[in-house]
Amino acid sequence: MAVTVEPSAFSMVDYDAAEISALVDELAGSLGLGDHDIRIEVDETSPLGRNWLETLDPIHIHVESGALEDPKRIRRFSRLGATDVLGRHLLRAKDRFDPDFGDAPTDADLSSAHRTAWDVYTVGRLVRAGFPANRQRWLYAFRNRHGFTDAADDTFETLWLSDGLTWSRVAELSDAAAATNPGKLDRKPA
Amino acid sequence: MRKLISPDDLGRDDRFERTEMMDRVSDPRNAADDSGRSRPGKLTPERADAPDAARALMHGIFVGEIQALEGAGRTCYDFEVGKGKLDDDEVPFELKLDMARQCWDEARHCEISVKLSDWMGTEIGEFGESAFLFQAACNPDPVLRLTGVNRALEGLAIDVFNTMREFGDLAGDPVLEFCEDWMLADEVTHVKMGSDWLRRMTANDPDRQEKALEFQRVVDKLFSLGGFRGEEDDSPVRLARRFRELAGFDDTEMNDIAELSREARGEVEERGRQARETASQN
Repeated sequence: MAVTVEPSAFSMVDYDAAEISALVDELAGSLGLGDHDIRIEVDETSPLGRNWLETLDPIHIHVESGALEDPKRIRRFSRLGATDVLGRHLLRAKDRFDPDFGDAPTDADLSSAHRTAWDVYTVGRLVRAGFPANRQRWLYAFRNRHGFTDAADDTFETLWLSDGLTWSRVAELSDAAAATNPGKLDRKPA
Repeated sequence: MRKLISPDDLGRDDRFERTEMMDRVSDPRNAADDSGRSRPGKLTPERADAPDAARALMHGIFVGEIQALEGAGRTCYDFEVGKGKLDDDEVPFELKLDMARQCWDEARHCEISVKLSDWMGTEIGEFGESAFLFQAACNPDPVLRLTGVNRALEGLAIDVFNTMREFGDLAGDPVLEFCEDWMLADEVTHVKMGSDWLRRMTANDPDRQEKALEFQRVVDKLFSLGGFRGEEDDSPVRLARRFRELAGFDDTEMNDIAELSREARGEVEERGRQARETASQN
């Protein structure tokens, strides 16, 4: 397996390609992807945090620099944030390699609700693999996409605690929760 | 107890990390290209990063509330009671009463913000803290201080709270929407206080009034955060004209703020371009 990080030297942000590579190496080993080539492409010209999986062979993850940035220190690398973003993509890649998981849409074709549901399923497993995450942050993200309801919270719990789900089950859970979403508040002034 | 303390002397525990506004505005990534690709866009639930962007903005509100409490508290203490003429450091007793009331509001806002942070999954100190709000509260002239803080800064708070309130409404988040709506009502009062004291304390002193308004313009431009707050389609925080009107702003003043925001945005983009050129030459 080989991990490559592009660019190899950064000029706009204070990131170290070797540190990113070592983190990806650790994540891949822990998540059972040790035999795959992995390419991390960092767009350091953007401070935003968009990120996506470009290809599966090699596993090619594209991130804007904000995705790996320390929210306390501008233009500095965050190991915690990078673990979250890259760990999710690696686990999603692992799901996509698994024939039992089924065919999920490409990252570009995922709806916000389905993406978030898959994220929750992924981060729950990352936590059980020993990587820290803020559960409430993900509950809030899930509620934003599926509604601030008890039904959405129950679905979140199911996704967070599950292993071995298929894509169709993830999508089904997401769709069922979203169907109970009351949507816009439209509260009238008292 | 010392008067007129520096922003560096504010009490914070080790969860907080101070950030400098210049580091942000001179970030070479801000002007990576001219396509607008590096601008986050208006804060709506449709944005892919909406939940995290809302968390970051809410944390900014939280530290702003702490500094607003500290600023109003210092204004109660930094000046003696008197007539409030230009050459003394006195303010009317009623102004101190208003500042004491504002302290009460801001303390309540801090507590609401902490609970909202819990609700949204944000840890205290998770994001950097810029002290620019308190810096505006360090002006030694109480009229300039109130104009900079209560009109410019609390005016920005109106824009931010309104944006977050709308976000909560669209996302269907009843907790966020209620909290922001209630805090927004207080901010309108705070801005109105600034407008009223500016008018009362400078009624017979047009020079001082002009200086105060000029200070407000400077602060308004800084607080536009390079166009983060403005009236462009992709401004993450929009100018809340209706609520500003309730707080004593007229159309001319609001048009000026919108123009200042456009200027600030252009300057940040230019600074970013220069920084990028420098980086590419090294």
